[in-house]
Amino acid sequence: MNKLPKKIWVFFRTVILTGISFIIMYPVIYMVSCAFRESTDMNDPSVMWLPKHFTLDVMKDTIKAMDFGNTLKNTLFLNVGCAVVQVISCAVTGYGFARFDFRGKRFLSAIVIMMILVPPQVISLPLYTQFMNFGIGSFRINLIDNMLTMYLPAITANGLKAGLMILIFRQFFSGLPRELEDAAYIDGCSPLRTFTAVILPNALPAVLTVFLFSVVIYWNDCYTSTVFFRNTKTLTLVLENLDSQLKKNLFGSADVQISPREQIVWKEAGCLLSITPLLVMYVCLQKHFTEGIERSGLVM
Amino acid sequence: MKEKIKIPHSGRKSLYGYGFISLWLVGTVIFFLIPLVKSLIYSFSEVSIDSGKTVTEWVGFEKYIKVLTEDEKYTEYLTDMLVETLWKTPLIIIFSMFIAVVLNQNFRGRTLARAVFFLPVIIVTGSVYKVISNDINTSVVGDAEKFSTVFSTNLIGEFLEFIGVYGISDKVNTLISAVADNIFGIVWNSGIQITLFLAALQGIPVSVREAATLDGATAWEYFWKITVPYIKPFILANVIFTVIDTFTNPLNTVMERIGTMRNQWAFGEASAMAWIYFIIIMVIIGIISSFSRRDFNE
Repeated sequence: MNKLPKKIWVFFRTVILTGISFIIMYPVIYMVSCAFRESTDMNDPSVMWLPKHFTLDVMKDTIKAMDFGNTLKNTLFLNVGCAVVQVISCAVTGYGFARFDFRGKRFLSAIVIMMILVPPQVISLPLYTQFMNFGIGSFRINLIDNMLTMYLPAITANGLKAGLMILIFRQFFSGLPRELEDAAYIDGCSPLRTFTAVILPNALPAVLTVFLFSVVIYWNDCYTSTVFFRNTKTLTLVLENLDSQLKKNLFGSADVQISPREQIVWKEAGCLLSITPLLVMYVCLQKHFTEGIERSGLVM
Repeated sequence: MKEKIKIPHSGRKSLYGYGFISLWLVGTVIFFLIPLVKSLIYSFSEVSIDSGKTVTEWVGFEKYIKVLTEDEKYTEYLTDMLVETLWKTPLIIIFSMFIAVVLNQNFRGRTLARAVFFLPVIIVTGSVYKVISNDINTSVVGDAEKFSTVFSTNLIGEFLEFIGVYGISDKVNTLISAVADNIFGIVWNSGIQITLFLAALQGIPVSVREAATLDGATAWEYFWKITVPYIKPFILANVIFTVIDTFTNPLNTVMERIGTMRNQWAFGEASAMAWIYFIIIMVIIGIISSFSRRDFNE
């Protein structure tokens, strides 16, 4: 290859990658920059990135308004818990589809595809009435505002984006060599034991990828939680109502008029707080994630 | 015990298969199929809630007609949504393919670059994204972006007029400004697509790459003759994924409209809206996959 075109390309590539990286990182940098400045700095045109009045008060106010400790505990218990449970149930289901032949498999696979295509909004109404009045025969309980509304679908591999996760696992498990299982069967392992002792350890990259995906989906879920919960608070739900809560705390009433520009500092602080746990997890798992998804042979 | 011996090996294997999917099967009947059928019934009914129980009264296509003819907001949002998907999807696909090709090359800082490009995946789905895009529009830099948009629009328009092309420059202007205004949205919604394309690119065998280099293929030829055929199936997967993703995003206007109707306890109308929407998605996905099937048969 000629040297000159190559040099031009390298230059071009660096410019493009840096530029787009900036677009991607921009909101994150902006969040950090806003969360630690006084709200008056927002109206000061000379302040771009570095705040003139550095302060921790905004963060403190926001932590208090979000009731951060409790909310985080809720989120971990509800959203991350569901995410973990769903990864396991989807892996089991995906394995069943990948390795065994049974009657009606084509039809059942079609249902999995349907699960991907049907927007959650289509079934959320009947689900709501179903949960309001859940049970068989005369034994009925109201599950609205109960964590089971999230946990039950997750346990049975029917939670958020479950169809996609089953499909990913199915693809991944079909790609694994059959010799793995044959050896285990000859040694007298039952299929379940083969799955837990032989298959799962080999599927670690796929499991991690889907785990990250699942945690992100549950963490950021707003739609399903607003449908089924009225009092339970997760980080995402709290962030939605942060505005009025902050106004109540800072100015005594939710109806105070304050320019949207000056509110930005608190909102960005709220965003920063609610994605920091995710960011930390991403940074820790990042290597496995970017490698895992490439190895998982993810073809739809 | 006796019975167990009678079952042949294949039969036992299929039993195990049912065993593995049984949990999902039970769940899918309760949490997916029954609600799905119920919502279809709701959409043909007048729904009222009487002491905790839902009462439905069959009204035929009335709700569908009402939603499509009387609810102006719904049809307006629906067309906006369709138009947006129509032009945004190709842009997302081209952009993510380009980025995947670049990220697949060897250079220093590649790991860092990849980590940055996957970052949107973890933020974009939530309300954080809503806050971010709102704030950026109200802050100073929003104006700076608008400034650069105007700048590039005029530049291209003037260039076209300079080389003697008049008339289209207006259309080009609107197109370019639309792209520039949405670059944030496009970049931020391409995370998964880039990942998928990268996975495809990693699937190109080293031997193919070596053979092409030995035969003296230029980068341009390599892209069209090797890369594109290899990632073709992924283009389809990505188009379908992008369409589904934009359509089922709870933040989009149609979804919000359906949510509002539900909050007003207008279950019949909300279900009819959701079903019209779902049928449109199915038709679009059907068209896309029929295109690709023709493609594969060639």
